[in-house]
Amino acid sequence: MPTSNRSPVPGLFLGLIVTLAALIAYTLYITWQISGLRELQNTTAARNRKDSLQLLRIQNDLNLIAVAMRDMLDNDEPYPLTAWTAQFQRIRSDLDDALRVEGQTAVVQQTPEQRQFLSNSIAQFWDASDRIFVLAQSGKESDARAQIRLSLQARQAGLSTAVARMLVQNNANEEQAAAQVGQIYDRVQRQVYWFLAAILAAILLTSLSMIQSNRKLFAQIAALSDQRSELAQKLISTQESTLQYISRELHDDFGQILTAMGAMLSRARNRVPEESPLRAELQEVTEIAQTTLEKVRSLSQALHPVMIDEQSLENTIDAYIPVVERQTGLTISYEKSGVPFPVNGEVGVHIYRILQEALNNVVRHSGTLQAWVRFRFLPKALELEVEDHGVGFTAKSAKGGIGLVAMRERAEILGGSIEYAVPIEGGSLIRLHVPIEAAEKHGR
Amino acid sequence: MRDTTSVASALILPWELLAQPFAQAASPGFQLVDVTGSSGIQFQHNSGAYGGKLLPETLGSGCAFLDYDGDGWQDILLINGMDWPGHNHQRSTLQLYRNNRDGTFTDVTHKAGLDIEMYGMGVAVGDYNNDGFPDILVTCVGQNRLFKNTGKGTFIDVTRKSGLDGRHAFSTSALWLDFDRDGLLDLFICNYVKWSSEHDVFCSLDGKHKSYCTPEAYRGETCWLFRNRGDGTFEDVTAKSGVFDSSSKSLGVAMLDYDQDGWPDLLVANDTQPNKLYRNLRNGTFKEVAVEAGLAFSADGKARAGMGVDIGDFENSGAAGITITNFDNEMIGLYRNLGNGSYEDIAVPSGVGLPSKNTLGFGCVFLDADLDGNLDLVVANGHIDETVRNIRGNVGYAQPPQLFLNEGKRQFRDVSADVGNEFHQAKVGRGLAYGDFDRDGDADILITTNNGPACLYRNDQHSGNKSIRFRLIGTQSNRDAIGAMVRIYHEGTIQSRMVKSGSSYLSQSELPVTFGLGKRDKIERVVIQWPNGKIEEYKNLAAGKSYECIEAKGITPSAGF
Repeated sequence: MPTSNRSPVPGLFLGLIVTLAALIAYTLYITWQISGLRELQNTTAARNRKDSLQLLRIQNDLNLIAVAMRDMLDNDEPYPLTAWTAQFQRIRSDLDDALRVEGQTAVVQQTPEQRQFLSNSIAQFWDASDRIFVLAQSGKESDARAQIRLSLQARQAGLSTAVARMLVQNNANEEQAAAQVGQIYDRVQRQVYWFLAAILAAILLTSLSMIQSNRKLFAQIAALSDQRSELAQKLISTQESTLQYISRELHDDFGQILTAMGAMLSRARNRVPEESPLRAELQEVTEIAQTTLEKVRSLSQALHPVMIDEQSLENTIDAYIPVVERQTGLTISYEKSGVPFPVNGEVGVHIYRILQEALNNVVRHSGTLQAWVRFRFLPKALELEVEDHGVGFTAKSAKGGIGLVAMRERAEILGGSIEYAVPIEGGSLIRLHVPIEAAEKHGR
Repeated sequence: MRDTTSVASALILPWELLAQPFAQAASPGFQLVDVTGSSGIQFQHNSGAYGGKLLPETLGSGCAFLDYDGDGWQDILLINGMDWPGHNHQRSTLQLYRNNRDGTFTDVTHKAGLDIEMYGMGVAVGDYNNDGFPDILVTCVGQNRLFKNTGKGTFIDVTRKSGLDGRHAFSTSALWLDFDRDGLLDLFICNYVKWSSEHDVFCSLDGKHKSYCTPEAYRGETCWLFRNRGDGTFEDVTAKSGVFDSSSKSLGVAMLDYDQDGWPDLLVANDTQPNKLYRNLRNGTFKEVAVEAGLAFSADGKARAGMGVDIGDFENSGAAGITITNFDNEMIGLYRNLGNGSYEDIAVPSGVGLPSKNTLGFGCVFLDADLDGNLDLVVANGHIDETVRNIRGNVGYAQPPQLFLNEGKRQFRDVSADVGNEFHQAKVGRGLAYGDFDRDGDADILITTNNGPACLYRNDQHSGNKSIRFRLIGTQSNRDAIGAMVRIYHEGTIQSRMVKSGSSYLSQSELPVTFGLGKRDKIERVVIQWPNGKIEEYKNLAAGKSYECIEAKGITPSAGF
């Protein structure tokens, strides 16, 4: 499988940078828009509203003047016209204040002529009003009333019209500001959609890139795993063939030589007189040769269980269990069940090695001298269990155990599976499961 | 029987024990018991309503606590309307009830010479001739009436003699005050609108049937200010003093010293028009400053339908706050004095605003109902439109009065449902006054209703709180000491009350001032600022007593209240 060594990190990093950059750009844009909106609302809408309120206040004062003038002309109060002086004074004071505030808050740039007209009209109104009150004070009430009718009411009406015009102007201005605010909102709304689209695109691209790179990574890992497994299996096969070769050499060559040496020495001893001290020495050398022969055969058997090839896995295990007990002091409860079926020699070697490794682990790591070996011929599989109630799989043994790895690799070579479990009583349980097809492969 | 009771007690006891903490938490420490019937008060207001839907019918009438015979016991005056000309069915007059000093009253209207028919609206009580007996001004639709107290249990109509005759208006609330500090009580009268039965405007909700008009349908009418010349007559100084205002539609008036200069100022509650605050310029004239003071309009700049008004130092800051009742959906205005000549409406944050959103308030008084040292607020409610529920489902024509208990820190709690079922009953309330008619040291409450009875509620304290009362008699100042400021000091706390006429709506409360002291046995000192500006101070006064303070002559405790 072709693999690429290109890391996904730069791509992801780029995606992150693009997303952050988009976010920052959008934040700046929104901040700019909001500040524009605030500016518009503060300088135009809010001021305009304040100005309109002041104009309404002015209009209200002018209405109050109109009502007061009406009452003055009705002449149904038992008071002279001068009684209205305080009322006029109050309205004047409020009107002056309203005009002053309005002048400060006016958004619409009134022309100097407009302001001058308003200022002059107000001044003329109060001047006329003062003259009327002077007339009333001097007892000329009817003249004063005539002046109100002729002059003051007309001036009030003129002022009222001027203020109404300003209110209309303010209203138009407010509508314009509202339209601008609306435009800003529309722009922001559009930008929100664009931003969302960009973010979605960035997320989509980044996700696709991640999926692609993850797929590659998984493929690489799988390939590496296959390579590693293949390598391990090759190593195991090589090891087995090497051991088989050495075992055969030991058994065949050295065994023949030592057997021949033993026979020759026996013959030579028989030729030496009974009383000769040489006879005793030859006897000793013959025994040494015999012992060496046995050791060579034993080593040969250990390196490669020839018995598997010559007899069967079942017999090999039957013979192996007492040897382990004798050599290690371990007490093994050995159970065998099921109807035996032929097991391929190569397969048998792997099963035998797994049993060897499992019992080695019991001896070396379990801290117990009791083990159970169960060898089952099942209808569709062969099953081997090795159980102990010792300390079990420790982190150390599981992590650093080449043996466990080797067992798994051997199981894989067999096309079977191996399972590491913990019995109810504690300790460890290794269960090898080999399908019957795999066990009989290349069978007899 | 005994056994049964024991068993019942045994059964009930655990529940009582369980319920006790909750009952204590909800109890305001006093009850307002309806003693109208048992006290002998049998009053029925006559609005004259015959179907003509005339504007004045919806607004009356007022009431007052006064000691007309000077025996130290508060008597009761109830103002009445009458049938309209051409629709006479019954005779109705105001009613004066003398306190029998045993919790009952006797109707002495006829004996006192007051069984005169008039379309009465409000009342102001004050000793305008300084003879030691309170005189009565009755505001009317038509000609107001001034009744001089002879001191012999009778009154004489001195309207013409005093120079108050020849004026026909729709007068409402009124008060006595010594605005020029000459030792003589002057008179301020509110007028509502220019109305007469001959020029009644046709208003309709459905376009067919006549209904009561709102004040917008009528032109405003100026309030009046009359200066007491000291010879039994009055001079109209309305125009000269600067209070003339033809746009006002005034219903309530209170006196106060808003700038704390010792000169009485005036606050006028206007219906659908800006309220007016007349600052006394100490030279016989006033300057209107309600807008600057923040009292003219609501917080959103609207002229509300001001009805009743009262002032009181509900924060115990030494500076009086203000309450103004308004139309439904407008809430009560509760203003705290910011100390810089302006006020802030704290109705909503204080807890008074929302409970008054669906009520139409008229009479309103600050009083220390539970005697804990904080002024509480009582409001008489009732709508003007009998069919209001058809238009606004959550607003009734008859509405329960409200009692907002001051819990300190500018927080009020409506406890009207907890102080007595009778008090909490819905009624078409208008006038409201308080006075300690049973002389037990707490304020009892009197409420009048439109076209209905008057209700007297006795305040029964259960908390063990104590009080101290002061009755002031002026010698150089006006004899009623109206305008005097009384401040008491105890344990770092200051309480202040003004001796005042008017306030509330069409009504007047008793003149003696009452201070709640909680569990305290005494006060450290009392400082009296008389209406003429002179100050007197007395120290270490025991609680549980009433003190008579005579200007420049000292203080005399009574055995009790």
